Amino acid sequence: MTDNDTILSLRGIAKTFGEKVALKRVDLDVRRGEVHVICGENGAGKSTLMNILAGIHQPSAGEIVLNGEPVRIPDPIAASAHGIGMVHQHFTLVPSMTVAENLFLGRQPRRLGLFSDRAAMVDRARELSLRYNFGLDPNAPVGQLSVGQRQRVEILKALAFDAKLLILDEPTAVLTPPEVDELLQVIDGLRARGRTILFITHKLREVKSVSDRVTVIRHGESISTHRTADVSEADIARDMVGRDVFLVGRKGDGAARSFGAPVLKLDRVSMTNSHGRLLLDAISFDVRAGEVMGIAGVDGNGQTELSEAIAGLMAIQGGAIELCGRDVTRASVAERQEAGLGFIPEDRLDRGLGVTMSVAENVAATNYSRAGILRHGFVDRGRLDAFAASKIKEFDVRGAQASTPVGWLSGGNMQKVVIARELERDPALLVVCQPTRGLDIGASEFVHERILAAADRGHAVLLISSELSEIFALSDRIGVMYSGRLMRVLDRAVADEATVGTLMNGGEAVAA
Amino acid sequence: MDIQSLLASVLEQSTPILLAALAAMITLRANILNVAVEGMMLVAAFTAIAVGNATGSASLAFLAAVAAAILMSQLLALLTLRFSADFIVAGLGINLLAAGGTLFALERFYNSPGGLRPPSFPDVWHIPDGSLSFVPFLGRILEGQSFIVILALLAVPATAVFLYQTPTGANLRAAGEDEHAARSAGIRVGLMKALAVGISGLLSGLAGAQLAMDKLHFFLPDMTSGRGFIGLAATLFGGGLPWMTAAASFLFGFFGALGDRLQAFAIPSQFVLMLPYIAAILGLTFARWRAHRRNRPARLPGHQTT
Amino acid sequence: MNEAARSFLRAIGAPLGAIALTMALGFLLVASITDEPVQAYRDLLFANFDSLGNFALFLNRATPLTLIALGVIFSFRAGVFNVGGEGQLYAGAIAATVVGVFFADLPAVILLPLAVAAGIAAGAFLGWIPGVLKVRLAVDEVVTTLMLNTIVLLFTSYLVNQVIRDTSAYGAVSRMVAKSIWLPPMPGVPGATSGFLVAVVLALVTWVVLFRTEWGAQLRAAGINLRFANAVGVPANRRIISAMLVAGGLAGLAGALYVLGIGHRFEQNFSPAYGLVGLTCALLARIHPIGALATALFYAMMLNGAAYMQISTDVPRSLVNLLTGLLVLLMTARLRKSGLRG
Repeated sequence: MTDNDTILSLRGIAKTFGEKVALKRVDLDVRRGEVHVICGENGAGKSTLMNILAGIHQPSAGEIVLNGEPVRIPDPIAASAHGIGMVHQHFTLVPSMTVAENLFLGRQPRRLGLFSDRAAMVDRARELSLRYNFGLDPNAPVGQLSVGQRQRVEILKALAFDAKLLILDEPTAVLTPPEVDELLQVIDGLRARGRTILFITHKLREVKSVSDRVTVIRHGESISTHRTADVSEADIARDMVGRDVFLVGRKGDGAARSFGAPVLKLDRVSMTNSHGRLLLDAISFDVRAGEVMGIAGVDGNGQTELSEAIAGLMAIQGGAIELCGRDVTRASVAERQEAGLGFIPEDRLDRGLGVTMSVAENVAATNYSRAGILRHGFVDRGRLDAFAASKIKEFDVRGAQASTPVGWLSGGNMQKVVIARELERDPALLVVCQPTRGLDIGASEFVHERILAAADRGHAVLLISSELSEIFALSDRIGVMYSGRLMRVLDRAVADEATVGTLMNGGEAVAA
Repeated sequence: MDIQSLLASVLEQSTPILLAALAAMITLRANILNVAVEGMMLVAAFTAIAVGNATGSASLAFLAAVAAAILMSQLLALLTLRFSADFIVAGLGINLLAAGGTLFALERFYNSPGGLRPPSFPDVWHIPDGSLSFVPFLGRILEGQSFIVILALLAVPATAVFLYQTPTGANLRAAGEDEHAARSAGIRVGLMKALAVGISGLLSGLAGAQLAMDKLHFFLPDMTSGRGFIGLAATLFGGGLPWMTAAASFLFGFFGALGDRLQAFAIPSQFVLMLPYIAAILGLTFARWRAHRRNRPARLPGHQTT
Repeated sequence: MNEAARSFLRAIGAPLGAIALTMALGFLLVASITDEPVQAYRDLLFANFDSLGNFALFLNRATPLTLIALGVIFSFRAGVFNVGGEGQLYAGAIAATVVGVFFADLPAVILLPLAVAAGIAAGAFLGWIPGVLKVRLAVDEVVTTLMLNTIVLLFTSYLVNQVIRDTSAYGAVSRMVAKSIWLPPMPGVPGATSGFLVAVVLALVTWVVLFRTEWGAQLRAAGINLRFANAVGVPANRRIISAMLVAGGLAGLAGALYVLGIGHRFEQNFSPAYGLVGLTCALLARIHPIGALATALFYAMMLNGAAYMQISTDVPRSLVNLLTGLLVLLMTARLRKSGLRG
């Protein structure tokens, strides 16, 4: 390989934030005109690496060689001057501004040296959109575009400044399946025009079809680089984790297991947003005692709304919800908890925890009277701390004392605090959403064990996850959601990934 | 009392409010609720009288007033942007510092805590009477107004052009609306906010100078008496848009002029003077209510999640 | 050093730094004015203890400050940036005055509770408005409380000038409230209002309520993360509105106790920005009720001591106003630079 083939080389890149090591040593060669995937678990250092290339962070050690020249990238402007364009996972668009204004944000063409040259911006935006066949209206405010269109604005923004190397950070995470297909076509088109694309993801599956090579990063180190065609997903997964992945699974034969009476019953539950769009479309199913019901689906197909409707955080416009024989359709969160609801929300930091509050206060939040923390109606500090200490021990919450602010813990330990709190009530129904999102493998295994143990004790579990492997490993029955509808409920024994995958993309499965 | 002289007095009374409103508007567009306009105006008013008294020069007094307000604004910017002080707390601190500092200076240097009334004070330039007689109707309203009034009127289109027609204005709005997006576009967000605060200092300085130098020619402790807050109210009422903000300022200035006149009819002036503040609360509530109706989050009765 | 002590030091480090810096800047200023800066500072801080009379005035200053700071603590802990203390204080004072003036014929056993209740209710009402608007419509509470401050000031100005004015007195003051409901002085300190004892007791009560009851835990949860509070079944909106009712009620009580215990009538401009200074005390104390009692005492010491300083040296008493401004300006600043480039 000559220097001419290699557009970008990273040599021993390291990055520390204070005492925390984000990147230990990363070596990477990206060839001109290839689609290169960087795979790694959450927390492996992918984002840090990309932020270094985008000029947002400076490496603590190592060398960036671009087109054969060692370079420094002090800020995003320098990155784009070097021909590096970055498409962030969280869009960096200003909603009230038009497509054209966003494309030229921070570098507008000027008239008389002082004023914005709007006409030039609009013309250039239109020309760019046409050239790459993006179909964007330069004068449309970005706030009114769909997620897929916004992503195309982001890509166009990078291309507008002639990015030779385009970095896409987890671009599929926010897209619906048809939008993912469109994105892959866009990527294919860009490669055909000689652009180099660096694709960051932890889901190789989605991008395997368009990628040329893949580099795996683990714990801040580059582990391996392969031609995509030569490796299987299992190989990649092993490199990502560092050992053979052992998934906790439902023990025994699912068909032989007997379940109790229905704990949760949904009857034609419907939810619409203010624009009249159906978020949940007449969803009916029930979950029986001792059973794990998995809900699969690509993010954004109504799973969040479903969980919040059951938890009492969003109102439904039609249908009924019954919990342990009680109609809780109009009940408050507290009333549902009383009726037997345990809820592990999908976003720990947003819904699950008060991050500046102590571990004790978080784990006690719903349990003051139940756990005997109150004495004569007042909080007994000694009992509160003792309760927290027992939960910290029981759930192996590492690095925590009762008084530690919960936000200081790692993601896995935070999740344990949430689970400890919700299981304390011994809820008849446990609604679990994306329970291992952002967790490392060890913590994921712990969480999975706890969920299964709850089901074995006779709790009904509703597991909502966009990770198919998780759904398959834990569920007794699998429901698939697409576009607010519950497409089908399958028994685990007869479900296979192909069927579920088709249903997740809105297709009707032939075999059931 | 004819309509033109009423409008002339509305214009004169509205000018400090208009300038304060534009000052608050610029920072609001950078996502800063600027409660310090009041204090910056007060410092400007004091500086104008103090420098005018000492030098006898109207231009020096005017320039010093504006400079003093800009200095205050940059003190605020330094503490909030560089030392991450809370904007509202620090802004209230600027107000207290302005009130305390001017009072302290009155006691210390002039030995008169009641105020500073120079025996003679240089006059600023006013549009000469009769010079605009060729302009129908408007001419007589503008005649006799100070040049700061003219500057204030020009400041409305100027801020509009700045915000919507210049790259810097676009960067400032981006920094206010989505810091993350602005930063990754290479915009220096802190600098944009400091600029917004600086411009609001400039406009507040004009407001304070107009207040002290146009007709009164003296300084009293707390002489701004809430005009900075009325300006803030006008900005919020006008939704942070230049022309709407100007319209709200004139409306509120009209209330003020009305309050003075109604006292003659035994209607308590306090109720009229309250109107801008009530209008701001109602206007804001109404705007939020409409937004709320438009995308009402699905929620349970009595249990909404905001 | 154990963890509790370390976190305590961390908590009080920054406010102490702001106070020290302000006092140091003030000392430089004083030194540039007078030859006796040490004497001036001694008077500013410690002349309050020279006589029982001075001490009484000092306690009278501390009473409204403490109560307002406690109110601010309730609202801030519930996540409401309530800067309406001044308006709530005035509302409480005028309501107690109106009751005390118009129902002067009632027996004291009825009139006194009625006047206090009126003050609390008026303040609470003023806290309720921004609370409800924030919870129901997400109207910014800073704006509403700021605007309400001026509205209330204007309204009280109308009442005191046009309705209950004491025409025989100089300045805009109301008629006296019935003498039967004047609060007794503090035992042992004639001239000091017994309202101070109320403030001390309420500081303790506030601490218990916020940190030792489930209600307080729910209120704080709502303030820290509303979506979290909702998810764990806390009726967060009700807690926030309650917090604002209590906050307004405490500031209203401050006004009522001022009228009944100190002023005995409503005086226009009776407050040297107690609302903002009370907010300052609360923030300096890291919104902790016991700490706020301490900062309120410190502040009362300065506010009151300034008068003695002016008499004994030629330093203007408005030095205190200037120092307050400096302190408020500095107190939320962090020494760690954030940098303009961020």
